[in-house]
Amino acid sequence: MPHVEVLPNSAASVAPGWTYVVDTGYDPSKVAINPKNKKRAAANPNQRGENELSSRQQTAIARRIAELNRDNDPKQSIPIPGKTSIPKTQNARRIIQYQRQIKHWLDDEEAQLAQVQQVPQPSARSAPSRPVAQPLRRSSIMAPVPPTPSEATPAPPAPSSHMDLEDDPLLAIDSSMPPPINQAELDALLSASPLSYAASHVAPPPTGGPPPRHFCDNCGYWGKIKCLKCGARVCGMECKDAHEATRCLKWA
Amino acid sequence: MAPRSKKATTVPSQTLVIDNGAYTLKAGLVPSAASDLSYDNCSMIPNCIARSTRDKRTYVASELADCKDFGELAFRRPVEKGFIINWEAQKAIWEHEFMDSSAGAGLRCDPKDTNLLLTEKPNCPKELQKNCDEIVFEQFEFAAYYRCVGGALNAYHPPSLGSLPQECLLLIDTSYSDTTIMPVYNGQLIHPAVRRLTVGGKLLTNYLKELSSLRHYNMLEETYLLNEIKEAVSFVAPSSQHFSKDLERTWKGRLGDKRELDSSIVLDYVLPDYEQSVHGYARPHDPAKSRMRRGLQPLQGPREDLLPLGNERFAVPELLFNPTDIGIHEVGLPGAVMEVLNGLPEALKVGMLANVVVVGGNTLIAGFMDRLEAELRSLVPANYLLNMVRADDPIKHTWLGAARFASQPEVIKEVLVTKAEYDERGSTWLGKKFAGESR
Repeated sequence: MPHVEVLPNSAASVAPGWTYVVDTGYDPSKVAINPKNKKRAAANPNQRGENELSSRQQTAIARRIAELNRDNDPKQSIPIPGKTSIPKTQNARRIIQYQRQIKHWLDDEEAQLAQVQQVPQPSARSAPSRPVAQPLRRSSIMAPVPPTPSEATPAPPAPSSHMDLEDDPLLAIDSSMPPPINQAELDALLSASPLSYAASHVAPPPTGGPPPRHFCDNCGYWGKIKCLKCGARVCGMECKDAHEATRCLKWA
Repeated sequence: MAPRSKKATTVPSQTLVIDNGAYTLKAGLVPSAASDLSYDNCSMIPNCIARSTRDKRTYVASELADCKDFGELAFRRPVEKGFIINWEAQKAIWEHEFMDSSAGAGLRCDPKDTNLLLTEKPNCPKELQKNCDEIVFEQFEFAAYYRCVGGALNAYHPPSLGSLPQECLLLIDTSYSDTTIMPVYNGQLIHPAVRRLTVGGKLLTNYLKELSSLRHYNMLEETYLLNEIKEAVSFVAPSSQHFSKDLERTWKGRLGDKRELDSSIVLDYVLPDYEQSVHGYARPHDPAKSRMRRGLQPLQGPREDLLPLGNERFAVPELLFNPTDIGIHEVGLPGAVMEVLNGLPEALKVGMLANVVVVGGNTLIAGFMDRLEAELRSLVPANYLLNMVRADDPIKHTWLGAARFASQPEVIKEVLVTKAEYDERGSTWLGKKFAGESR
C-alpha cells in the first residue's frame, strides 16, 4: 500500500467531503451507475455466463422433469372396484393401507443411510488400523534375513526352449488381451451390496463434452435467441410472440 | 437348519412367474421341468386400474381390453419407478388375474400349492422389499417364494448350457419407468456397477403429451392416446448429424420466409373420435387438409381431427441419447453403458461387450438399435468385439428367462424359501437371504 501524505502548502486546504484515496483501478461501485446496455444488464444482473441458468429457470426445469417423470396423479384417486378381501394379518393390513408415493420411500431410504453413516463412526475408525499394522510386522520379520547368494547373483538367462514365433511382435496377442481377472477382486464385486436408489443414477455429462443443445421453447427448432425476460430460447419472432403470450417465466 | 431333502419334498411342482412391470405385468404358470417354454407361455397384462369419466366404468388390468373409449381415461398404477408401492391396487390386480373367478384359465392358481418367482428392479429400497415379502407370505400365502432382480435371469437363455447361466451378459433394459444397465456374471448381478438413466417410456410419452398440448390441442388427460401415437410414429435419428438435418426439414421457416414441410417426415395423425373409431392412424402430411382443420370442417358428414407431427417424431426418443436436451443432468445411454463398463475389471469388460442384450419396450422404436450400436461402437476401444442384439420379444424376454430358471427343479429348489421357513425366521432374515448376505 503506497503511503500518501498531504503536504501542507498554501494552495491546498482540506475541505470537508474531500479526500485523497488510493487508486486501485477497477471500482465495482462506479460501474453500475451508468451501464451502457440497460436491457442486457437488467436481464443479466449477476453477470452470469452464457449457458448458466437463473435459479428461477432451474426450479422450472426441475419441476418440469418431476412432472414428466410422475407415475400417478395425486389429485385423482381411483377406488378399487368390487369388494376387496380382508387383509389376513395385522401386518398385511398396515402395508395394504399405505398411501405413500415413491418419493416418500426414497426419502426414507436416504434418511436411514445418512443415519447409518453418522452412528458407527468410532467402530469404523478402529477397523482399518488392523490391516495397517500387519504389513509393518511382516516387514520387520523379513528385514533381518540376509539376501541369499542365489538372489544376489544375476539370474541365468531364461531357457530359450520356446519357438521363435512367439517372439514375433506382430503375432503377439498380449497387447490386445486384457489382464486376467483377479479372483479376489471379482468376489468383492459380486458380494458387494447394492447401491442406494439415489447413488445408482448415471453421472452427469462430462464438463469437457459438447455444450448442451438448446431448442425453441415453442416449436422445437434450434433455440437461437434468448428471451430477454426469462432466458428461455426461441427460434424467431413468431415463436417469441407465442412464447411471451404463454410460457414466459417473467410472469410465472 | 432344516435338511435339504425335507425341504425338497414340500415344494410344489408349479411356479407362478411374474415380471411385475410398471406398465404391463408379464406372468405365466410354469410347470416343473418344462422343456418347451416360449414367449407364448407368457401373458401380458396391463398393470393398472383405469377409470373413465365418460362411461363411469372402472377397468381392472386385463379388462382394459374391453374398453372402447380411451378418452380422458385415468390410470392408477401400483408400481412407481419400477417398485411396487401401492399394495392395495397391486393386490386387487393379482387377485383379479390369478386367483378370482375372473382369472384366465392359464393363469388361475391356488397360492397354497404354487411357488412364486417375482422379479424386481435393482436398487430397490429395503423397506419396500420387506413389505413385498410380507404380503406374499402373509396375505397371499404362497407355498414358496423367490424374489430377485429380473435382469439377472436373462442369463438363463439358450446359449447357456443346461442349468448353467451364461458367463458374461450386459443387459440394457429400457422400460417404462427408466433405463437400467445391468452387468451379470454367471447369473449373478454385479450390484455396484448397475446404473440407471431417468429416461424411460413414461417420460417420453409425457414429453410428447406436453409438446402436443403446447403446440396443438390440450391433451394433458389423453395419456393412452399419446402413448399410442408415440408407439406409432416416433423414430430415433441415425446420428446427431441426421438429427440436425431432420430438424431443418421439419422447420416451418421464418416470418416472410415460410418453408414447405417435408412430407417424408411430417405426418398427420388422424385422432380417433371414440364413436366411429377407437384407434387413430398416421398418414403423410397434407397442407390443404391441415388448413381445413382450422374451422373449415363440414358441419355434416365425416369430420376429422388432425394432429400434425413434425420434429416431435424424433425429438422425443432423442432424449434417450441426449437427456440434456430438456435439462436432465445425465449422460446419454451410450455414455451410461461406458460408465457401467468402466466400473468393471478389464477382462470382464471384454466379456460383457461380446454379449450385450437389449430388452424393454423402448427398443421397439424404429432406429433405436442402429443408433445405440453406432454410438457405442465409437466409444468402445476398436480392438474389442461388440456384439449387441435385441431380444426377439424385448418385452417378454425377461419373463422367459425367469421361466427357464423356474423350470429347472434343481436350480429353483436351491433358492426358494417356503412359508414354513418364513414363519419361523421372519422377514428380516428373508430380506438378508435374498440379498445374499446369509450365505
